[in-house]
Amino acid sequence: MSDQAFALDAGAGVQEDLACTLLSKHFGEFAAVDEVSFSIPRGAFFSILGPSGCGKTTLLRMLAGFQQPDSGDILIKGQSVLNTPPNKRPVNMVFQHLALFPTMSVAENIAYGLKRKGVPKREHATLIDAVLAKVQLPDYGKKRIDQLSGGQKQRVAIARCLVLNPAVLLLDEPLGALDLKLREQMKIELKRLQREFNTTFVYITHDQSEALVMSDQVAVMNKGRFEQVGTPQELYYHPKTPFVASFIGDSNQYVGKVQGQSGKTITVVTEHGVRLLSQSSEETPPGSRITVFIRPEVMQISLGQPEAEQDNCLQVTVLRTLFDGARSQLQVETAEGAVLTVALPQTADFHALEPGRSVYVSWQANQCLCFPVAPVTRPEAV
Amino acid sequence: MSAEPGSLKRTQYRLGFWLLLAPIVLWLSLLIILPHIDMVLVSLRERVASRQYEFSFSNYTEFFTEPLYWNTFVRTAVMSIVATALTLIIAFPVSFYIAKVLSGKPKMALFILCLIPFWVSELVRTYGWMILLRETGLVSGALQWLGLVDQPVEMLYNDVAIMVGLIYTSMLFMVVPLVTTLDSLDKSLIEAGYDLGGSSWHVMKSIVIPHAMPGIMSGCIVVFMLTLGNYLTPTLLGGKDSLWFTEQIYTQFITRFNWEQGAAFGILLLVLSSLIVWLGLKITKQSFTRVMS
Amino acid sequence: MIPSISSSRFYRASYLCYVVLFFIFLITPLLVVAAFSFNDSLFPSLPWNGFTWDWYLGSKEPRLGLFHDDALLESIGVSVQVAIVTTLASLALATCNAFLFEREQFPGKNFLYVLMLMPLVVPGVILGVSILVFSSTVANWFEVQFDYDFEALRPGLVLVTLGQFAFITTIATLVISARLRKFDVTQEEAAMNLGASRLTAIATVTLPFLKPALFGAGVVAFLMSFENFNTTLMLVGSDAPLTIAMFDRLREGSTPVLNAVSVLLMVGSACLALVSLFAQRPDKQ
Repeated sequence: MSDQAFALDAGAGVQEDLACTLLSKHFGEFAAVDEVSFSIPRGAFFSILGPSGCGKTTLLRMLAGFQQPDSGDILIKGQSVLNTPPNKRPVNMVFQHLALFPTMSVAENIAYGLKRKGVPKREHATLIDAVLAKVQLPDYGKKRIDQLSGGQKQRVAIARCLVLNPAVLLLDEPLGALDLKLREQMKIELKRLQREFNTTFVYITHDQSEALVMSDQVAVMNKGRFEQVGTPQELYYHPKTPFVASFIGDSNQYVGKVQGQSGKTITVVTEHGVRLLSQSSEETPPGSRITVFIRPEVMQISLGQPEAEQDNCLQVTVLRTLFDGARSQLQVETAEGAVLTVALPQTADFHALEPGRSVYVSWQANQCLCFPVAPVTRPEAV
Repeated sequence: MSAEPGSLKRTQYRLGFWLLLAPIVLWLSLLIILPHIDMVLVSLRERVASRQYEFSFSNYTEFFTEPLYWNTFVRTAVMSIVATALTLIIAFPVSFYIAKVLSGKPKMALFILCLIPFWVSELVRTYGWMILLRETGLVSGALQWLGLVDQPVEMLYNDVAIMVGLIYTSMLFMVVPLVTTLDSLDKSLIEAGYDLGGSSWHVMKSIVIPHAMPGIMSGCIVVFMLTLGNYLTPTLLGGKDSLWFTEQIYTQFITRFNWEQGAAFGILLLVLSSLIVWLGLKITKQSFTRVMS
Repeated sequence: MIPSISSSRFYRASYLCYVVLFFIFLITPLLVVAAFSFNDSLFPSLPWNGFTWDWYLGSKEPRLGLFHDDALLESIGVSVQVAIVTTLASLALATCNAFLFEREQFPGKNFLYVLMLMPLVVPGVILGVSILVFSSTVANWFEVQFDYDFEALRPGLVLVTLGQFAFITTIATLVISARLRKFDVTQEEAAMNLGASRLTAIATVTLPFLKPALFGAGVVAFLMSFENFNTTLMLVGSDAPLTIAMFDRLREGSTPVLNAVSVLLMVGSACLALVSLFAQRPDKQ
């Protein structure tokens, strides 16, 4: 958590649309949000990624003003908004179920905020047409909400907020209700809209793919705290905590004991008795328990002994093929009984890998991650 | 720093809460609770001289010693229970037909047709029965025309006429809750019951009726209440000898101006209706709030 | 038993027969009332003497038609007045109640809810009597203490309105609460997020959502008030609403002018029913 940027510096405050310092919210004994600090540079797409119940919704509701923090501060464009009621904050929100007003037409929904802001009525039509054009729904103003498809509703909900030019747009898992195909389209669409309006987006989701595809910065949240904040690449390749390592992407996880260390390379014996070489950035005394994470895609499959020298090379037996197109995987078992999941390239070589066949898997020590902690259960199989 | 706006918000919320609470408390206390308490107090006093009252149970002892009051009371209760049961028996097959046999437009149409009579006043409905049943009425005329009787028959002013009127008047309040609860019963449950080998009777007894129980109870409570407290139908269809307890209350209050006695009768009727409703809920294991809303 | 389960033809035919008979039972009294309003006779009974408009348009005794019967017309006016006031008052209170029960959490909420349902299980006659007793207690107290006769608390239209309001509010509350329960509260938050204050949010988003229920409850309240007899009977003073006026005439011995009034009521109710169906239609799409 050392890399979290603090917005205490007055000079930096101007460059940031949104900053929080030591924000906490408790419900009775339960800490929903626990001393969270972060700052978001102007015009960034910032995602808060975490499993359900991690406190991300509470955090978002505090930003919108629907919940008061117990302690800490929220700064929007350098100004504290703690004393600002939700209707006066320069943030707008796209709700999880969109919360479009069913009694009003599309245009009336969009005009709602303009009216509250006191924008003269004669300007409404121009503003509404412009924003509808930007979300690619021209001439939809007269439609009723129940005449729209899921994706169109989504766009109206975003247009309703963006017409007000908010400093920050909050999005509360808005893609959750859409089917897969549409969700893929909307990811790209949201990113485009964010560029076009050049507004800071704060997007919360439990879907890592949404967060990784769209975001400039992602905060991984767990149990009320930020585990790590970084670019999608940083989170994927250099997770700082075992939670992040297991939450983002697939991993084979093994708990083992450290046998020895030479430089950055350590030797680990897993519970099954498999010897592995891994890299560790920290000092790990021999005998300490660690968890090793190996991503399926770093392992190479070969039918015979690999020619190039590899730090780890195991002879394994094929258990089964999990066919999923380009994301196909192979489950294999070592002689000691440890099961590994390996990415299966869709090349002609590997088409006929029937169960029981003996193959080799190999990878370099620096492609493993290890954390000297108690084992973390995987939050979800991806 | 954050405590201040929080508490400010809470005060605003509290103010809103009190503003919402005040009218309902005023309504319930001034129009429901205090009037009933006052009625209890009035029933427990006796006029000893002009504007001079004493605490006394005499209004209640009067009720128990005078057989006319006592008989009327029991008769009203029994007839109300019978009317409620008959209404349920008549309404259930029809409600089932509307809710489960029909679908789409015919279902809506028939349901609305069920409601139509109740958009007009109870007085009009009772009046219709008077025209049908009186000596010069249609039923008598039809019987003569068919040659079943050779002179006009008076069918008003007896218990059957009262019963027909009461059932007719209450029908809506039974059909609506029944159709609503039966409608919420998934047809596949009935199909599953058959599929697992149940007979019509068994499926009805073990699947349909338990599901419809809240609706049955809510219908029965409302019908019973309306019947017990009915004044119009017994008076008009039963004539002078209808012996309905609400008539006694009316007589005491309006004709004899004996409010103390009338209040005592009112309390007794209220106790009776609460008791029977409570018993009904106990026997069928339903909760009052669930049944009523 | 249900269409997807086969049953004998005899069973289905007799079931259908029963349902048809039921509807004949429902409809006959109303048809009879309507038909005899056109009977050219002084009594609403057989024999049928031919068709006439006299009971609507007749202007001379003994055939004084409805539209020239000032007493009846006046009582319709009284009923309409009472019904409008009762409807508006009960809608206002019922909306407050709906918000209280659906939005607030407070100790004793369940108790208050049960209390709120009470007027439904108090027989109308008793409700009327209790209000009569209490209001005259209060009025007497005023008279003794201040030597002032509180006219409004003596039997009359004010008490009639209060008595009807007392139980109609419960029904309206149930209707409006049911609709408010379906309201997605985040819509109010969305409105606030777009710059509305709490009250503006309720006025611009929540109340429009409640409109069908408010309308439906309003129609029901109006009809219940207009048709109320039991409570009204106990509280009525010199100005008689329609139901009381009709009741008095019925006891005196009726002429077909009462049938004419009934037809007018049926037509009025049917119009209200159609309007309310029509008004709620867009909501269902």
